[in-house]
Amino acid sequence: MADTLLLARSQFALTALFHILWPVLTIGLSLFLVVNETLWIRSRDPDYYRHARFWSKLFILNFGVGVASGVPLEFEFGTNWAPFSAAMGDFFGNILGFEGAMAFMLEAGFLGIMLFGWRRVAPKIHLFATCMVALGASLSAFWIMVANSWMQTPAGGVMQHGRFVVTSYTQAMFNPAALWGVGHMWFACLETSLLVIGALSAWYIHKNRHPEFFLKSLKIAIAAAVLVAPLQIFLGDGSGRVVFEQQPAKGAAVEGHWRTNPPGTGAPWAVVAWPDKARQRNDWAITIPGVLSLLATHRLTGQVTGLKAFPPADQPPALPLLFYAFRLMVAIGFYVLALMLWSVWLWYRGELTAERVGRHRRWLLAWIGALPLGYLAVESGWIVREVGRQPWIVNGLMRTAAGVSALPPGTVLASLIGYALLYTLLLTAFLVFARRTLRKGPDVTAEPPPLKPAAPLQVNAPVPHALEDD
Amino acid sequence: MEQVIGLLADIWFVLLGVILALYVVLDGFTLGVGMLTLFSPTEERRGILMGTLGSVWDANETWLVLLGGALFGAFPAAYALLLHALYIPVIIMLFGMILRAAAFEFREHAEAKRFWNLAFAMASLVIALAQGVALGTVLQGIPSVDGAYVGSVFDWARPFPLLVALGVVCGYGLLGAVYLILRTEGIIQTRARFAARLLAWLTFAVAVAVTVWTPFIYPQVATKWFSLPGFFLILPLPVAGFAAFLLLLRALARGHEAAPFVWTVVIFLASFGGLAVSLHPYIVPPSLTLTQAAASPATLIFMLTGIGMLLPVMMIYNGYQYLVFRGKVTVPGYHH
Repeated sequence: MADTLLLARSQFALTALFHILWPVLTIGLSLFLVVNETLWIRSRDPDYYRHARFWSKLFILNFGVGVASGVPLEFEFGTNWAPFSAAMGDFFGNILGFEGAMAFMLEAGFLGIMLFGWRRVAPKIHLFATCMVALGASLSAFWIMVANSWMQTPAGGVMQHGRFVVTSYTQAMFNPAALWGVGHMWFACLETSLLVIGALSAWYIHKNRHPEFFLKSLKIAIAAAVLVAPLQIFLGDGSGRVVFEQQPAKGAAVEGHWRTNPPGTGAPWAVVAWPDKARQRNDWAITIPGVLSLLATHRLTGQVTGLKAFPPADQPPALPLLFYAFRLMVAIGFYVLALMLWSVWLWYRGELTAERVGRHRRWLLAWIGALPLGYLAVESGWIVREVGRQPWIVNGLMRTAAGVSALPPGTVLASLIGYALLYTLLLTAFLVFARRTLRKGPDVTAEPPPLKPAAPLQVNAPVPHALEDD
Repeated sequence: MEQVIGLLADIWFVLLGVILALYVVLDGFTLGVGMLTLFSPTEERRGILMGTLGSVWDANETWLVLLGGALFGAFPAAYALLLHALYIPVIIMLFGMILRAAAFEFREHAEAKRFWNLAFAMASLVIALAQGVALGTVLQGIPSVDGAYVGSVFDWARPFPLLVALGVVCGYGLLGAVYLILRTEGIIQTRARFAARLLAWLTFAVAVAVTVWTPFIYPQVATKWFSLPGFFLILPLPVAGFAAFLLLLRALARGHEAAPFVWTVVIFLASFGGLAVSLHPYIVPPSLTLTQAAASPATLIFMLTGIGMLLPVMMIYNGYQYLVFRGKVTVPGYHH
């Protein structure tokens, strides 16, 4: 059973960490497509249409892998976590059902029109379809974060005969971690996508390929990210304070904080350390007095419960992983903020023109280098959130060990290996084809469809292939 | 209170049935076309087959995701028990779905399409087989103690589930063929007509075998079928199914384009209805009845107001997408 537990956890970690890479871009990029289509319809500048067409090529590749890796998660709770599903389904399963009905279906129901319907529907209907895809993508983040937050801070029901029964949907859905979690994740999607859009645009500019064209997308990315980056730090801080309030063991584990600070004193903050669970202390640490109280409670002498207040069986595992994953995420948050301040300053100085932008090599490289940072931060954040929740599957209500399906370890090992092989294939193929698409670049002469269609739409007539722009 | 739970559970049984039926018909033809691409002699013809799916395959598959979520919410105990018991078929189906989605997308980009073409067709076959095996395993019974599965992970590897799997593969193939009659013309349509006739007979043969075998495997069905008034309640379904089969053969012989699809869907719905009536009041025979597996009334009502109300909306916008892309596909590519 111990083997099955470890294997089931590994499989969930693999499938979830792999899957989350794709929807983050789907969510942000679909909104970016909405922005471009709107700009095109309002300004009639065909470049925005061409941007929409170009970025939707990346979108579809990314979306395909997202769907491929997302479907298994809908079923993995049942296959590998059957006791958890049976006990917690009254709320948790229902929320996944809502995700399917409100988010995935909306996305899928308009995806075909968004990708292939350019010549079949009027531009405004096309924009509507793109909006629905974007709305569906964002709603899926909402529902999944509501479900996940409930596992962190369950509320709105009672345990009856080993089953969670909902008594208040408002309380269960808007549990203490939910709104901060939804906001933090949604902004993570925006920030990651803006970094990808900005970095790729910067790469084209750096290569001197259509600099004027890509300055348009880079400027959209900067204009949005300069708001998103500081707000994300604010949301991260808020999520963190909920953790210290609601899941003190997780908070203490993330910070390598062992002893509760006595009243009237501030808790010290370990900048770097090596937390050691076996010895119940940090092997070494560089600390700043008083700062943790400030970070965790926004008060100078706020009490921060130490890990030693919990028996080792109730403490999260893999302390150094939690400690450093958290620090990586925070460092990326501040790097992005600095990059945005630099970008805005250059923009303000009038440097972001096709003639002058090429001179700012280092700035362009800083952008290009930021391409993977959003993904790294998202993965780190999920590790902190989920490993930090251990040893609970639903915090305080059910232990992870009690939630796992009693399967033979060999069977779970086989499926784990299968996932690893398939996902390696998917990632490799995606990188190969995405690279090909990006090297090919945009079609900067593509003619947009007429904005005011004079002739009535003929859906029945076969569309000549020459009209279809691939 | 008992009655309220029973009524809510029945409503959700019907809604899940509707979602499952939509999934089986829509992804059924998608999987069927996928399997039929194995027999496409040229890349151009295969491209046309794929083109009939381009704009809709993702939405079709999504009905299964919705089914998973709705089953999890409405009958958590059934979701848990079924997926645990069907671990190997479900995982194999999921692997198939991963590969199918990837192959569908990547073959458009690949210069050497052979690998992705084969992956797409084989993944479609594997998904159909796995779903059939899963259905057969459920019909032969899922043993449990205190809601937890106590059978082996290999309970599916028996003759009955494998026969059902064969039936599902033929049935999906038939759906794919009649869909192609509707969406293509010329040589592809002619070949689809031939495939449809062959697969109709095969599906019919396997369906008869499964129907005869089921009462021996699943005694509760026998008592239900061969008692009054159960007999007369169920009787219209096989009669309707058989009539639709005859009408399908006639429509194929007369060269109709839309009728074969309609009659095939009627055959599926009749089998489906027969299955649902035979199962009721069980959701996982012989372990869980609907009321035993149901979530709390508050949850069932909450879901009804949300997901239940959205169901018609989903059907409307999915229908709109079909409308936008209706018509014959004559050139390869997804832009149809």
